Amino acid sequence: MITPLPVDAPAVPAPLVPGRPARGYWKEATGRLRRNRIGVTSGLVLLFFVVVAVTSPLLAAVFTQADPRHIDLLNTFLPPFSPHHILGTDDLGRDELTRMLYGAQVSMGIGFLSVGVALTIGAGVGLLAGYYGGLLDGLLMRFVDIILAVPAIFLFILMSILFKPNTITLALIIASVGWGSIARLVRGEVLSVRTRDFMIATRALGASDARLILRHLLPNVLHVLIVFGSLYLGQVVLIEAALDFLGLGISPATPSWGNMLTNSETFFFHSSWLVIWPGVTIFVTVLAANLFGNAIRDAFDPRLR
Amino acid sequence: MPGPLLEVRDLKTQFSTPEGVVKAVDGVSFELHAGETLGIVGESGCGKSVTALSIMRLVPRPGRIVGGQVLFEGRDLAKLSNAQMQEIRGESIAMIFQDPMTSLNPVFRVGWQVSEPLLLHRSMPQAKALQGGTIMLGRVGIPSPETRARDFPHHFSGGMRQRAMIAMGLTTTPPVLIADEPTTALDVTIQAQILDLLRNANREFGTATILITHNLGVVAGMCERVMVMYAGRIVESGLTTDVFAHPKHPYTWSLLRSIPRLDAERHEPLKPIEGMPPDLIAPPPGCAFHPRCPFKVERCSRDVPALNRVGDQLAACWVTQSGVELKDA
Amino acid sequence: MLAKYLVRRVLATIPVVIGVTLITFMLMHVTAGSYIPGIDLNPNLKAEDVEAIKRYLGLDRPLYIQYITWLAGVGHGDFGRSMIDGSLVSSHIFDRLPATLELTITAILLGILISIPLGVTGALRRGSKIDHALTAMSVGGFAIPAFWLGLLLILVFSVQLQAWGLPFLPSGGVTTPGLGGGDLLDRVVHLILPATVLSFVYLSIWSRFTRSSMLEVLSQDYVRTARAKGMTERRVVYMHALRNAVIPLVTLVGLELPALVSGGLVVEVVFSWPGIGKLLYERALQTDYTTVLGITTFAALLVVAGNLLADILYALLDPRIRYA
Repeated sequence: MITPLPVDAPAVPAPLVPGRPARGYWKEATGRLRRNRIGVTSGLVLLFFVVVAVTSPLLAAVFTQADPRHIDLLNTFLPPFSPHHILGTDDLGRDELTRMLYGAQVSMGIGFLSVGVALTIGAGVGLLAGYYGGLLDGLLMRFVDIILAVPAIFLFILMSILFKPNTITLALIIASVGWGSIARLVRGEVLSVRTRDFMIATRALGASDARLILRHLLPNVLHVLIVFGSLYLGQVVLIEAALDFLGLGISPATPSWGNMLTNSETFFFHSSWLVIWPGVTIFVTVLAANLFGNAIRDAFDPRLR
Repeated sequence: MPGPLLEVRDLKTQFSTPEGVVKAVDGVSFELHAGETLGIVGESGCGKSVTALSIMRLVPRPGRIVGGQVLFEGRDLAKLSNAQMQEIRGESIAMIFQDPMTSLNPVFRVGWQVSEPLLLHRSMPQAKALQGGTIMLGRVGIPSPETRARDFPHHFSGGMRQRAMIAMGLTTTPPVLIADEPTTALDVTIQAQILDLLRNANREFGTATILITHNLGVVAGMCERVMVMYAGRIVESGLTTDVFAHPKHPYTWSLLRSIPRLDAERHEPLKPIEGMPPDLIAPPPGCAFHPRCPFKVERCSRDVPALNRVGDQLAACWVTQSGVELKDA
Repeated sequence: MLAKYLVRRVLATIPVVIGVTLITFMLMHVTAGSYIPGIDLNPNLKAEDVEAIKRYLGLDRPLYIQYITWLAGVGHGDFGRSMIDGSLVSSHIFDRLPATLELTITAILLGILISIPLGVTGALRRGSKIDHALTAMSVGGFAIPAFWLGLLLILVFSVQLQAWGLPFLPSGGVTTPGLGGGDLLDRVVHLILPATVLSFVYLSIWSRFTRSSMLEVLSQDYVRTARAKGMTERRVVYMHALRNAVIPLVTLVGLELPALVSGGLVVEVVFSWPGIGKLLYERALQTDYTTVLGITTFAALLVVAGNLLADILYALLDPRIRYA
């Protein structure tokens, strides 16, 4: 022993209470999260975009009084702070701010839906694979290996030309790959939880598999899901924007931050703000999601820092 | 008698942690003479390893030497530049560590690692340094050293790795070797071999050795002099025979009674030391050992005792300094 | 034994190869079915002729036989034909592959060469202003949409510099078309922007990883041993610590390959880089399923091969595997 110090002692031990993490553990974690200024700020930024997404028609009615699809060829490429067009207009004279507001619907809608679906499938597969082990584990994990070996965008593009996606199908397409990494993580966590004494003790008491998985394993991997969910949200927003930009996401008729950038190379040398607004918004959203995810991770497991 | 080779004066090393300042070494002074073997004993966390690392100026962050002097051949190591200190390390003072499994770099061949001090300090060509390292591997008892020098650490057993570590320390035949718990991580049978090896090195190369251990048996078999540390301070110091025969500090006294002895006159029961090791952030006032001390008097919780002569050795204890003998109640 | 390890790694990729090809084959079957590429181009064929051709091509046989036949074709570099113009997918792929390899390999090397020193700096100066700045940069870099970064760089380094009459970087293509283009300098100049964009995200990930890996290695006992030998801090870091810290990075790069190839597609589109990603994109817009699937199969196999390469490299760097 070189340093006779408690410096490396974990400030907060992992949940040791049988069955599920103690209430105090969650309380402490949320307490730490609340004291993390970056975490709180990024959480509020995310919340802001969610609110904008939910209320975008209302906001548009109040602030811009414009239809996101209303084409006005007499007023194309109006610069920012023009009368009635705070953020200017695009190549078809549509109000940029209105389109940005509606774009939040697409990004947030697809983001949260995709995260929800991927977490559900990933958690299910990870829990089953980790809990039962053996052949089932081998098969499921090989399947995950295979899914993750294919460059994801190739699959997205393929499915996109197959299904001509709308908001919901695009979210499902993105989730159809994203669950793989979650399953891997959850399985790993389950393997480490499974061998703890309380699991063996509970099984000895004659609890059913379903009860063990749902009441005892799931609460113990929940923090992994929350952390990964937040980090994955940022990834989904990026992927969705890229697909929309490529013209392979949702239909160009629906305004989205990604498809507002499509073909922008044809006009961005004279109207660079049309490139700036959506790009910065995507950046801020993804940044907030990532920082929020990091903050949650730090709050739940300070040793991972 | 010539002056000491290494002299530590009032060394203080502290760690700043979020919980407070840990006084790991709190005013340690001692001398080491050429060719002698000095043991430092104490429980984990008493500051013996930090003392050694302070001499080497290798205290890990957030640790810092905050006071005192380390004089090697009259030069204060604490005042040397980093470049000058690098010349001392490995060349004048070598150090070997507790865990041989992790102390060798897994990606380099053992022979190269053993010969690296020659490469660094003797500006030898690589081939010649390797030759020197290989010879040293042979001298520490590695069979067919030419072949084994080309192996990687993971090919070596724990005992072999510790031999290699010792060879690494000895290639430059430094005047001082600090061995920090060199046998703790090894099997009992291997321990004896490694201690033999250190004893031979001391005899053969005249290397003065500081042996840090929590094992009193090791000190008894190896060291001419011994220092006992508690809570970052030296509580007793003297010739090993004196200290072991007539301990003059209650901590030493308790330590000796907590281990089995082959030469016990009668069948004494082992007596573990009561209580917990002290908190180094907020140590008890007065003598740090007093909360656990069976002999404590009122003054012990008030004033810190200095290390003074008691009988044939030095002890920091108000009780024995006042002439009281340590005996079973 | 290294050989044993390598054999094991190669064997482990077999199920992945089978799985990947099975998925793309099934997708092909669902999307293109028994459609024979190019058959529409000949209006003189009668229904029974089409049946005969299908029999001849084996399309009447059980699905698993078709899969095995198709897989054997893939093994020989045959990735089928386009269902739009009947052209060989493999010939398109091999036309476009050099550009993709050029871009991807440059981006990987660029990413590694920049992220290692950044990560090492962050680790050595943990908690300093530089470290915080690097952390902020990597957090930011990780959140930038690659295609948007590409657009911005084009806007600044091609459009704006050109507008100001300054030397500017080309915004697309591998070389300048026409005479005078195509020499090494011209190629390098064309590579700068796309390679920067592609490596940007990985710079964030890899420099973070190097930083934490370096921090862990620096706390290892053997680093203390090295210091105790009396060497410069430079030698401690770059000779003793770095090698150990970088070995796991190889695995990480291998794991990121699918994402790198994905990112490569977007970058190729933004910079009109004539690689297989752009090829797939063009064919996707024409809903040319067979070509898209052929390229997907190829890209997946390329990634599997890249992973294998990373494993081999890892084994070569880590003596614990090389001389186990």
